[in-house]
Amino acid sequence: MSNDDPRDKPTISLDRHSPRYRLEFESLATEFHARCPVAWNDTHGGYWFANGNKELFDLARRADLLSNENDVDGTGRGYQGISIPSQSDQANRTRGGFLEMDPPDQRYYRQALNPYLSPAAVERWKPVIDELTRACLDEKIETGRIDFVDDLANIVPAVFTLAMLGMPLKDWDVYCEPVHAAVYTPPGTPDHARVIQLQMRMGMHMMEVMQGIRERPRPGLINELVTLKLGDRTPDDTEIAGVIMLIIGGGFDTTTALTAHSLEWLSEHPGERERLSRERDTLLDSATEEFLRFYTPAQGDGRTITQDCEVNGTEFREGERLWLSWAMANRDAKVFEDPHTIHLDRKGNRHSSFGLGIHRCIGSNVARAVFKSMLTAVLDRMPDFVCDPDGAVHYDTTGVINGMKHLPATFTPGKRLGAGLDETLERMQRICDEQRLAEPVTVRKARAKLRD
Amino acid sequence: MKVRVDPEVCQGHTLCAMNAPDLFALRDEDGHAYAVDEEVPAGKEDLARDAARTCPEQAIVLS
Repeated sequence: MSNDDPRDKPTISLDRHSPRYRLEFESLATEFHARCPVAWNDTHGGYWFANGNKELFDLARRADLLSNENDVDGTGRGYQGISIPSQSDQANRTRGGFLEMDPPDQRYYRQALNPYLSPAAVERWKPVIDELTRACLDEKIETGRIDFVDDLANIVPAVFTLAMLGMPLKDWDVYCEPVHAAVYTPPGTPDHARVIQLQMRMGMHMMEVMQGIRERPRPGLINELVTLKLGDRTPDDTEIAGVIMLIIGGGFDTTTALTAHSLEWLSEHPGERERLSRERDTLLDSATEEFLRFYTPAQGDGRTITQDCEVNGTEFREGERLWLSWAMANRDAKVFEDPHTIHLDRKGNRHSSFGLGIHRCIGSNVARAVFKSMLTAVLDRMPDFVCDPDGAVHYDTTGVINGMKHLPATFTPGKRLGAGLDETLERMQRICDEQRLAEPVTVRKARAKLRD
Repeated sequence: MKVRVDPEVCQGHTLCAMNAPDLFALRDEDGHAYAVDEEVPAGKEDLARDAARTCPEQAIVLS
């Protein structure tokens, strides 16, 4: 900041995209909570970094002071959306769906999509989710070896997200690799060109599916989007594509990250794993929320301050950027006793891993359902799994997603229970189509039936 | 004890219904919560307090 700024700002210098952020996360969080729960971070052009739990709570819900707008076409206030730093290619910026919009448009989208993603809506899908999980495990159960990321946690969230969208299930791999790789392959890295190629193929596929659904409607989120009215406005294909990518991006990498980290921790704590499996009726919910708190798959979100204001003694100015660190707020000892330790039975766990305020993760109920399906199936069928620490690959940096690339494990081989993945995908596709499972819960209330 | 969920503040985190399913229900269409009964049944006061404490948005009002 320039020297003529009269404000007394506690200043830090933390590059969230550096390994230091990941490796020293706990000591940094503890230090910031004590010294500067709202700090001015002088990296990436300078931005406010809200990390204390109360301070984040008091800021994140102030839709009157904050904007998510990503003004890609220059018709708004010029704000830069939720990424800090902003997207590097300013000329080709894309808006991240309604997560980079403000009300009323943001509200129109959520009202339209909630009936596909509410707890009641997701509950209808449980037999399908469990069947996808079963098929993934059956592919590996006889070998005694699995990569929990590649063979399970990448696949189930991806296939199920496509099912809700109304996309062909068999095409999940068109989306899976580019979506995950894009998170951990920044511009300038050797693999970046390949990822761009995969993203282009994915984008073309998505536009084709969207066009196909316009011509021949089939139930699902995409059908809702191509028929949606936002007040008196109809979104164009680019805007809809941004929303689909938000749903895909939100649905894939985050749940994968949560599942992989949880399984890794359970491998390291076999006593806790046995306890969770044995007492799952009472522990599964609280354990899920605790894994969410501790690993915080989406580490934070950016905002832009929309007017000069003061909150809890900090003076903000219009146009300044703000990072809401869900991850650090989740480790604040003022709210969470023994914050850097996982307690599977933690009470009063009001974590902010799905965000706070009007932009609360719209897929949170999907994430929980898919995670619980995968976790319990692994506990049942591979109860003695041991993850290989030498083969586990964490993201180098966790500035956006606290994810993992690979998590190989061994276990005592077991028996297959049914068909493999490809055959299962064909069968689930038929069931989706025949039972119109991707309708919103307001249209279709019945649970999926896998057998007559 | 009385309980209500402030609909302007609730964002559908669902933790109240997860922790106290007898006291809170979720709307089918968006998962936002409401109190099953405005009066907290005798003996369930602590459960109501726990649920209020667990709400990420602090949307549960006890009186």
